[in-house]
Formats: sequence, C-alpha cells, structure tokens
Amino acid sequence: MLRDITIGQYYPTKSCIHRLDPRTKIVGTMLYIVSLFLFRSFSGFLVVGTAFAGILILSHVPFRYMLRGLKPILMILAFTVLCNFFLTDGEILWKWKFLKITKEGLQRGAFMGIRLVLLIFGTSLMTYTTTPNQLTDGLEKLLSPLKVIHFSAHEMAMMMSIALRFIPILTEEADRIRKAQMARGADMESGGVIRRAKAMVPVLIPLIVSAFRRAFDLAMAMEARCYHGGKGRTKMKPLRYGLRDLFGYLYLACYLATVILLRVWQKI
Amino acid sequence: MIPVWVKGLVHDYVTRDEEGNKAEVKRALDHVDLNVEEGQFIAVLGANGSGKSTLAKHINALLLPTDGQVLTCDMDTADDRYLWEIRKSAGMVFQNPDNQIVASVVEEDVGFGPENLGVPTEEIVSRVRDCLAAVGMSKYGENSPNHLSGGQKQRVAIAGILAMEPKCILMDEPTAMLDPIGRREVLETVHRLNREKGITVILITHYMEEVIDADRIFVMSAGKVAMQGTPREIFTRSEELRELRLEVPQAAELAHELAKRGIPMPPAVLSAEEFAEAYKSAVSGKTTAKLTESPKSGASLEESRQDCPENNTGLSENGSKEPLLSLRDVRYVYGTGTAYETVAVDGVTLDLFPGEYVGLIGHTGSGKSTLIQMMNGLERATSGTVSYQGEDIFRDGYDRRALRSSVGLVFQYPDHQLFESTVLADVSFGPKNQGLSEEEIRERAEWALRLVGVSEDRWQSSPLELSGGQKRRVAIAGVLAMKPKILILDEPTAGLDPAGRDEILGEIDRIRRETGMTVVLVSHRMEDVARFADRLMVMDDGHLVYAEPPREVFKHREKLTSIGLEVPQVTRIMQMLAADGIPCRSDAITVAEALEELCAAEAAVD
Repeated sequence: MLRDITIGQYYPTKSCIHRLDPRTKIVGTMLYIVSLFLFRSFSGFLVVGTAFAGILILSHVPFRYMLRGLKPILMILAFTVLCNFFLTDGEILWKWKFLKITKEGLQRGAFMGIRLVLLIFGTSLMTYTTTPNQLTDGLEKLLSPLKVIHFSAHEMAMMMSIALRFIPILTEEADRIRKAQMARGADMESGGVIRRAKAMVPVLIPLIVSAFRRAFDLAMAMEARCYHGGKGRTKMKPLRYGLRDLFGYLYLACYLATVILLRVWQKI
Repeated sequence: MIPVWVKGLVHDYVTRDEEGNKAEVKRALDHVDLNVEEGQFIAVLGANGSGKSTLAKHINALLLPTDGQVLTCDMDTADDRYLWEIRKSAGMVFQNPDNQIVASVVEEDVGFGPENLGVPTEEIVSRVRDCLAAVGMSKYGENSPNHLSGGQKQRVAIAGILAMEPKCILMDEPTAMLDPIGRREVLETVHRLNREKGITVILITHYMEEVIDADRIFVMSAGKVAMQGTPREIFTRSEELRELRLEVPQAAELAHELAKRGIPMPPAVLSAEEFAEAYKSAVSGKTTAKLTESPKSGASLEESRQDCPENNTGLSENGSKEPLLSLRDVRYVYGTGTAYETVAVDGVTLDLFPGEYVGLIGHTGSGKSTLIQMMNGLERATSGTVSYQGEDIFRDGYDRRALRSSVGLVFQYPDHQLFESTVLADVSFGPKNQGLSEEEIRERAEWALRLVGVSEDRWQSSPLELSGGQKRRVAIAGVLAMKPKILILDEPTAGLDPAGRDEILGEIDRIRRETGMTVVLVSHRMEDVARFADRLMVMDDGHLVYAEPPREVFKHREKLTSIGLEVPQVTRIMQMLAADGIPCRSDAITVAEALEELCAAEAAVD
C-alpha cells in the first residue's frame, strides 16, 4: 500500500500543459522565477500573476492544489512577512512598547509575501504537471551539452531515476524492519530526542545494509543487460518537441519580451 | 553453435586483509567440466554453497575464471572483446525480483536492454511489445513494477532479457523468493520459451519439483559436478542426493522405498500420476516375490512413529485447557475511505492453545501476514477482539510492548532484524528491551543460542557474516531469548536448501517439545506443515477456511487447489489410488505413512 504513494505531487489529468515536453516546462519555470525577482513593484506581480493564471487554467489543476502547496512553507511565509512588518524603519503607523509597524514595513512585508507565494505557485504547478521521471529525462537532455566539461548528465539522470524507483521499496522495507524490531520489544515512541534517535539504530543498520545489497544486485543486473554508461545508448521514449512546445516557447518569448520592456521603460 | 562449453573451470574467491595480502582463499569451483547443447533445458541443482551460482556467473562473464576456460556461444569469456556480445547472447535473470528492475514503468524496463545495445527507437518499441506478449504481461506495460506480484516481476525480468534476443537464458534461483503460484508462472513461461523459440535455458535451483521436465540435470557439490544425467537417472539416486543436502520429490522417494521392499516399481518416477499408474500395474501384475522386512525399513517405521505422534491428539488434548490467544471476528481494513480500500482480514475467529503446533497456510495476499501481526499487537484490528490470556490487547492502557515478549514473532527475512556487531549482542536485544538485569540478559541469550544450535565459537562473529541458515537460527534465538509463550514464525524455510529446511523444522519442533511453547508456523509449503502441525489453519482472501488437523484439511483437495494451494504429493498419490479402488487409506501425509499403507495394500491384493 505504501507503494502507491507518489513522490512529488503529480496531479494526473490530461491537459496541454501536462503534454508539454518537460524541457519546455523546466525552461518556463526558470524564466518565471527570474522574472519574479526582476520586478520591483506590485504592478510587476500583476503581470506575473496574469501569465501564471493563464497557464494554471490550461493545466486543469484545481486552484486548491496551489494552496495546498503553501502548507509546508506557511511558517516561513509568516516569519518573512512579520519580520518585515516590525523591523523596517519608516513612517510609524502603530506602536506598542518597543514593537512598531511602519508603512514601509507593511509594503515590504506584503511585497515579500506575495513574491514567495507566487514562487511556490509556479514551482508547484511544474511538479503537478510533470512526473519525476519526465523531469529527470528533461534535465538529462537539457544538461547534455555539459559533457564538454566531463559532466555526465546521463549518469546523473540514471541515478535520480533509480533513486526515485527505490524510494517506495526502501520505505516499505524500513517499515518491515521497524516492525521486526518492535516485535523484539524495541521502543520507538517514548523518550526524549536522544533516546529516540538511539532507538533508530536497529532500523537504520539493517536498512543501510539492505540498500547496499540492493545496489550491488542492481549493478550486476544492469551489467548483465549490457549497461556500460551513456555512450552508444539509444532511448525507447526519446524526448521530442511537438507543435504545442512551439506555442509554449512562443508564449515564453512574448512573456520575456513583455517583462524586459516593462522593466526597462516603465521601471516597474 | 555450442551455447555453453566449460572445461576445467576453477574459481577462487580471495579475501584480502587491510594490507592487500591474501587473507583467505575459498575455492568455489573445482575443475568443472560441463557442456550444453542448443535448445536444451538444463537444470543445475545444488545445496547452498555448492557453487552453482558462481558457475552461472561465469557463463555470462560476470566472473572470470581463476583457471580453466568458459566458451559461451563459441566466445571465450576471458577475451574482453566479446564481453558485450556474450552478455547479449546469454541473458541472466536473478533471484530478487525488485533488485533487477531498473525503470519505474514496466515497458521502459523491458526496453532497458535494447537501449543499452543501441537498438533504434522504433525497433525497441516493437521488441518490447512482442516480449511482453511472450511472457503474458502485455496488459501491464504502463504499470509501475511496484504494483506487480513476485511472479509477474520475474516475468517482466524475463521479457527484459528476451528483448535483447539472446540465444541462451540463465536463471539464478529465480523462484526462491516466490510463492507457489509465482513459481508456476515463471516456470511455465520459461518452458514455453524453450519449446516455442528454441532458446537454451539453464535453470539454477534447489527445488527438486522444478527440474523434472529438464533435458539434463547437473548436480553440484562443493564446487564439483557430483552427478549428471536425465531427471530419471538422477532421481533414482535418492540416498546420494540426500547426502548432498538435496531431496527427491515424494513420489520418487516413495517408489524407491517400495522397490526396496520388493514391490516392482520402475527405477524413477517423476510425478504423482506416474506413480499411481506404476503402482497399479505393479500390484495387478501379482508379484511372486514376498514382502521382505529389511532392518532399515523397520527402523524408519520407528522413526516415523516418533516423528508424528501427536497429529490426531492435539485438539482433544488441548480442548480442556483455556486458549492462550483468542481472536473473535477480527477484521483488518486498510486504506479506508480511499480508492484503495482493501479488506485484508475478514472476520477471523480462532483460538491458540498452550503447547500446540499450528500451521498457517495461505497464498500471498490471503491475509496471513496481517493476521499474525495482529496477534502481537503490531497492527491494530479494525474491528473484533484479540485476547491474550483473557485480556483484550487493544483496550486502552494495555501494554502491547510487554505482550510482544510473550507472543514472539520472527519475521521472514533475518536480515530485517540483525544489526548488532556480534551474534551475542544481537540476541541480547530482546531481553534488554524487557529490562532484565545484565546477568539475566546474558543467561537468556546464551540459552537461546544453545537451543537453536549455534555453537559458542560463533557468538562473537558479526551476524552479517553468517550463512543463510545460521542467520535464521540467530534471528529465531533473538526472539526465543525473551522466553515467549507463543512463537510465531513467518516462512522460516524461505531460501533454505532441502537439508536446511528439514533441519530448521526439526529444531523448531524440538524447541517446542523442550519448552512447551505454542508454535505457529506460517508457510505455503504443505509438506513443511504436514509433518509437525497439530492443526492447520488455511486462509484465503482474508477468511479462515479451515482450522483442522492436517489429515482432515487434505481431504478437501479440490477446494485447496481452487485457492492456490496443494496437498502434499504423497497425499495426492494416496487419494488417486484410493479413488481407483486400491484398498488403502487416502489420508497419508508423509512418505513413511504412505509406505506402510501401500505395502499393506499390496499384501491385501495378493
């Protein structure tokens, strides 16, 4: 059952965004993030937000999933916003003992907050519309020119995809090991931090030993199937750009142009 | 083209110490000669440590010879110009289904081999499609391997090898981690490929039932080829096989024993059906030779009586006692409310009495693992009650951690619990968690280790360095050291060779008699539980189908077959013969019992 948990938060549905080549999406997300940090005013965020909203609608991912992506960073978000509220100098709007809130502080806090939220929205959307394996394939293709500096994008991608494959297997094994040790009276629940950390040892050691054994077995199986690195290797499902990727890149080009124009001329 | 040609093969495993000097040299293969012809189905049998796996790895050049020569498909493995061609021609399927699947999607994994060979994309796609069809897994192309059963995963692995268009497939104990259904799937697939596509198959195993259809068998022992021949030739030599820590299928053994007693049975009988036919013709042929009671067979009669004295008295003996552990209408549901809601255990009611030996049988997915985890509180029942000594173990405030000292559970893989630096320390883990004194802990650990038969000279070794059978003993000792009243063992014979299996089962029974513990043995091997169990509990799809002595359970052969289980081969033989009018009881559950019955029947027919 644990094996059904998917890594990342892929939202399985059919949309043109889902069907885009992962490279297009990776490039698009990076462009999005850069543009988010280029703008200096709220009106800039309006541009980014609108561009994002268009993509979100096309992706058929419900908005509440975007909000779900904010959950893990709620604390950081609150911290950032509040820090800016209280610690910026300027025109004081409210004061109580040593605490003060300034107009500049409010502006700054809101600015930082919205930027962070838009950042999370953008990256979440990418993981909602792209499977982890598509991402590794995309990264592999994008980074392959780096072979001139002896960086093997293929090996990195192979490592990542094998890791992704084995995460559910090792998770299930860890659970079984934990149960086997609990059956011998191991206590995983009670005690302070140090005690509970020590209680992890009877689970970690068999797990690590097992991971090594799996790695050894897998290496032998890969060699037996003639794996010898990336050279001379073909792909069963090579990444191929389609018409919709052309539209995607055009969209990104227009977006980039808009961003530059607004930034340079309107200084927003 | 000769698929495999081995001459004078020697392989030494060299372990080096910290300075790089040779610390230990272990000879795994000792001048092995072996030839395989094209299109044959070859079996290599051998106990654990006999060198069969090492031999397999030489054939596809995963290992290189210390001395001697190996030619695979006419190419010398020592010549590294041929390395990739050799591995393409001789593909290998390994024992662990998970550890040979590389991709997260079935069809992508099957394509892994062709990708490595540089096959063009369109051809990879068509090869994958054809190979998945050849193994019967076409519907699962887009699935994740994690959702497949063991047998299905191994078939995907076979497809992955097929996609490289090999001339020969090597299989290194491919069924050791599978249940009977998975085992059958894999073997049927491989036999079909051998017949229909003419692919040479070399199957490495220690399961005797798997080799009866082979063209030729090689039996390995201590790095040498001890025996070779056709299955019939090999199976007549049951004493030799037993000395090599292997066994013959029950039908062959029974035929052999009957022949020794003077009943004319053919030299080698490979299946239950063959046996039945042979016996009927032997009996109706009216032999003139009188039955001779050889002293050897007399002794085995005594042994057999000692081996199964309590098979029919278990229930009535315990009927007067209070049950130690009771389950009433226990249900376990997981994934409630999600799309994956599954009922693993559906309304099970049973009692466990002190000192009894219970066998729990069911195929994978029948709910037996979940059931035993509820017996010691590791999993919480969704509904129903589990009571130990009359107390509900799931009520608030019940110390389930303490319960686990009384209801001990040994999991299937010893590697999941061995973690300490020495054997003694590992076995002490249980008593330590019970909060006993230093001295008591040491006493308990030593007692448990002696009880399972691990000698004192191993007590300071690292548990990870032990052999499979020894690791299992240490794992069992680790639970015994807590002195539980109930000992539950989850498939304790998995992965052991026939002799190892018999040893462990014999020891478990001896431990039970010495300590008076209740033993619950979970297995899918009927022969294991038939010998010792007082009662058999059969699970199917979360339900408890039977809870009776083995003899009674085996009468329901059709129902057992329909739920993926089988009666022991010997019982099947007796049932067939009784149905055909031979005056014998149909409920023998061991070879010894059947032997007596058939001798008596033969005399009666006279």
